[in-house]
Amino acid sequence: MKFSITSITKWVSIVVLILVVIVTLFPVVWMALSSVKSKEEIFRAPPTWAPETFTSRHYEDLFTRFHFVRLTVNSIIIAVGVTVISVVIGSMAAYGFSRYSFRGSGMLLIFILLARMITPAALVIPLYTLMRTLGLLDTMISIIIGITIMNLPFVIWIMKAFFDSAPKDVEEAAEVDGMSPFRTFWKIVIPMAMPAIATVVLFSFVTAWVDFLFGISFSTTPQSMPLTVGISNMQTGYEIYWGPMMAAGVYLTLPTLVLAFLLQKYFIKGLTMGY
Amino acid sequence: MVGSDIVSHSLYVTVLFTVVSVAIEFIVGLFIANALAKQMREKLSKVGKGLNRVLRSIFILPFAVPAVVAAVAWKMLLQPEFGPVNALLGVDMAWTTQQPLLSIIVADAWKMMPFILFILFAAIMSIPAERFEAIKIDGASGWQEFRYVTFPAILSVIAVVIAFRAVDAFTKIFDIVYMMTGGGPGMQTQVFPLLIWKTAFSHFHFGEAAVLAVAAIAISLIFGLVLILRGRTK
Repeated sequence: MKFSITSITKWVSIVVLILVVIVTLFPVVWMALSSVKSKEEIFRAPPTWAPETFTSRHYEDLFTRFHFVRLTVNSIIIAVGVTVISVVIGSMAAYGFSRYSFRGSGMLLIFILLARMITPAALVIPLYTLMRTLGLLDTMISIIIGITIMNLPFVIWIMKAFFDSAPKDVEEAAEVDGMSPFRTFWKIVIPMAMPAIATVVLFSFVTAWVDFLFGISFSTTPQSMPLTVGISNMQTGYEIYWGPMMAAGVYLTLPTLVLAFLLQKYFIKGLTMGY
Repeated sequence: MVGSDIVSHSLYVTVLFTVVSVAIEFIVGLFIANALAKQMREKLSKVGKGLNRVLRSIFILPFAVPAVVAAVAWKMLLQPEFGPVNALLGVDMAWTTQQPLLSIIVADAWKMMPFILFILFAAIMSIPAERFEAIKIDGASGWQEFRYVTFPAILSVIAVVIAFRAVDAFTKIFDIVYMMTGGGPGMQTQVFPLLIWKTAFSHFHFGEAAVLAVAAIAISLIFGLVLILRGRTK
């Protein structure tokens, strides 16, 4: 009797597991399949499963009709910009918090933690007015600044946790030898912090790459527009360009997907450490 | 003008979205995390380990998909005429207009479930193996093992992960709603972040949007402080 109950639970969990795996894969697989179907086939009801005819038409459309060359360059510039600024400022701030506690530094840290919980859409409103005054609307700078502000608390938090656990004796030795704190930081501390920096670089890059809010708020023309906003422009009030939209979905997902798989270890570490 | 009924309705929708979405993510995430961890403990064969790795790689997938893309992918799946979901279920439902809130909940839960899954998996894996062995010798079933060993050990992690995920869902839901329903039909999916955004960028009432933004930040601060202070006392 007991044996049968155990085997029933076992089989139920296997079935549920398989179902969840299917649901997890299905949207992306369907998107990829649809992206190579002809326009006529996409609109067919009931839908076909595997594409009957294979076409790269929608992918070509991305570059010929939807400015994807320019948008890709923009997205890369934004992602690299956010990553570099976040890592430079964030690691210095984190080091400061970790090594030099001062009056109110605990309070400041709590504020930084709280900043992670703020509604980004609320932050966009004052930033927009600020960017308008500075004449930075519709530039990538404004988007980079916006995303960096949202991203910095995460970077500081991860880096501080790392510095807190790192041994201090090497730095002390450098200090005895008369090295300035700034030089110690760049020449000794940062090279040792590479595992943590890898996590932070990966997350900053992905955060900036997938950002939609700051792009849609600050950008109005292709000169500053990221890819995420490019996708959203494929659904207008009159028409949804399903084919190009599916192709764009695949295109946008590929870089983050490759990064996530190659750097799985860092990815999961950042995930579990960020909270 | 944004009336108070619009604001309270929006808050209601956001809370409803948060509760249902996080509940789904948690139940599915816990189930899968427990199943994967159990398999890791019991099957030490190479095939079992490899399979486990493959499964974990699969669950990373929704993370790697940008929220905007998740939204369009689900919009395609749920499309009434040529979407596969209707064809599979044999129904004729215009999901994003007839069940708009459910649609965004499904897309969000799909994207965020793995987050809870990985954290709970790590928590379960850190439970000492002897505890499972001990209860096994006493002849416990899989459910009893979960009930008396796994669950009590990860209870505090569960509390933290649900709290953080709920704050996250409440404050950050934007991309998916913007792309799938645009807040509609009517105001049925007008979540709070979208209300703030639309007040400013669709209706150009920046003053009112600023008021709503301050309210949103106040809500975040209260939630956040409670979380942090509770976390400190533990």
